[in-house]
Amino acid sequence: MMFHQGIKKVWPVVLCLLLSSNTVFAQLNVFTCEPEWAALTRVLGGNGVKVYSATTAQQDPHHIQARPSLIAKVRRADLLVCTGAELEVGWLPLLLRKSGNGNIQAGQGGYFMAADQVALLEKPVVLDRSLGDIHAAGNPHIHLDPYRIQQIAAALSATLIKIDPANTHHYEENLQSFTGEWRQAISQWERQARALRGKRIVVSHNNWVYLEQWLGLERVAVLESKPGIPPSSRHLAQVLARLKQRPADMILYADYQNNKSASWLSQKTGLSVVGLPFSVSEKEDLIHWFNRLLNQLSGAAS
Amino acid sequence: MSIEGLEFSILGPAFIVGLMILSTHVPLGQEVLKRGIIFIDLAIAQIAGLGVIAAFRFGWEAHGWEVQVAAMSSALIAALVLGSLEKRYQQFQEALIGITFVLASTASILLLADNPHGSESLKDLLVGQILWITWDQLLPVALVTGFILFVWFGFRQRLKHIGFYVLFALAVTNSVQLIGVYLVFASLVIPALGSVGHKNALLTAYAIGASGYGLGLIISSLLDLPSGAVIVWSIAIVALLVKLLKKMSVKLSDEAGGFKENMMP
Repeated sequence: MMFHQGIKKVWPVVLCLLLSSNTVFAQLNVFTCEPEWAALTRVLGGNGVKVYSATTAQQDPHHIQARPSLIAKVRRADLLVCTGAELEVGWLPLLLRKSGNGNIQAGQGGYFMAADQVALLEKPVVLDRSLGDIHAAGNPHIHLDPYRIQQIAAALSATLIKIDPANTHHYEENLQSFTGEWRQAISQWERQARALRGKRIVVSHNNWVYLEQWLGLERVAVLESKPGIPPSSRHLAQVLARLKQRPADMILYADYQNNKSASWLSQKTGLSVVGLPFSVSEKEDLIHWFNRLLNQLSGAAS
Repeated sequence: MSIEGLEFSILGPAFIVGLMILSTHVPLGQEVLKRGIIFIDLAIAQIAGLGVIAAFRFGWEAHGWEVQVAAMSSALIAALVLGSLEKRYQQFQEALIGITFVLASTASILLLADNPHGSESLKDLLVGQILWITWDQLLPVALVTGFILFVWFGFRQRLKHIGFYVLFALAVTNSVQLIGVYLVFASLVIPALGSVGHKNALLTAYAIGASGYGLGLIISSLLDLPSGAVIVWSIAIVALLVKLLKKMSVKLSDEAGGFKENMMP
């Protein structure tokens, strides 16, 4: 009896709290395709946003399985933050069509593609299907370059302000403090990575271009002869021959992908295999993730 | 647990397409089971995919309805070939279907050796996802379904081997793109198997399939799991429960019968 009376007294208070918290923070619902953009939106949006990520760092963002909650989340989103450049072409258009949410369709104010904010590498001059699974827009794995992340952060913050002008001050503050911390982190990473400059690497899939360019790594060979296609024996023989002429220092692969081809090459050549975290894991921020990535990379190189 | 995916506008189109596909696949599945050729759907779907890849390979960049033409015509050719094989080598039919399946799958690997874009269309053809279905896709599905049901229930007696295979190819090529290979296989075989021995087998099979789809969609929303896979499991569990119930009721009526006999003076 006591318990029930207690509940009866508490109920109105809880209800008031719930209602008031709703009115004080009219949170923006943000749907992100990859965890790196979820982390970035969380930093820039602070209390003003509620972020949901469609994939985790352990998933291949090219393909996802349709779950009911995914559609429900997109339907309620005020803002969509994805990589773009055809990375999510296999499922995002379907999801958007199914959602019927007018705010986040292509070209609308709530449609934010990170790849549209920066210059992309490896933009093909001629589009030739025989070259493999190339992206017409350029290589989409831009989140491995901290300078591009900084550019994207500025554009994303501007988008948040456009959608939710009442909290302009809040978003500006967040961007400023993020930029400060990020610049500091970059200079620390670059100091740490000085020893990596000029290291020669073999990659299993060509998704490290932006990291290579930033840190000055030299890509000697790619195990997949054409992106998305398992290597043929002739291509593997060519890779082995090239490595004999021009030895590499290590083999890189993204730890969400399978490392069969990388370990095969490692057994043939004795090179060490390094599986790097390709994106931010849960309850981690961008800075922690880059720290982890660079620590693993420098650990493997030394 | 989450109830946010539990919305009719999300699950509704999926459920209705599921019912339409069941309406054709359940009777076709009973036939498939009777003939002992249960892997034929995998073979036909794979060949439909192969047709699209071959079209890409030989320079025809099919889009939209052209993909359907390529898929459908290769599935029909496969149906004709498999149909005439059954006529001649009936005792090896299951093995021949299996061989057709691996040949088609490996042929697509060979054709794709330097064309990954074809692999995307192969995936599109084989792993349709039931949740992506929207209201505006329902009309074409309804037309195909209506046509198959009309032929099946109207002219079934006159359908020869080849007629059955052709109808089957039409049904499967259409449904695999919408709901994927696993769910097509489950819709064909599980309700048909679960209803074997029932008085009204067709109706029982429809009931198993429909409750499997309904429960599967609801459970996948509550647990937030991929819908296609959950539906496969829920159809299987419903079919198993129906079997158990049937067994129990048979046992009970046997006992009741025995009891009555004992009571006879």
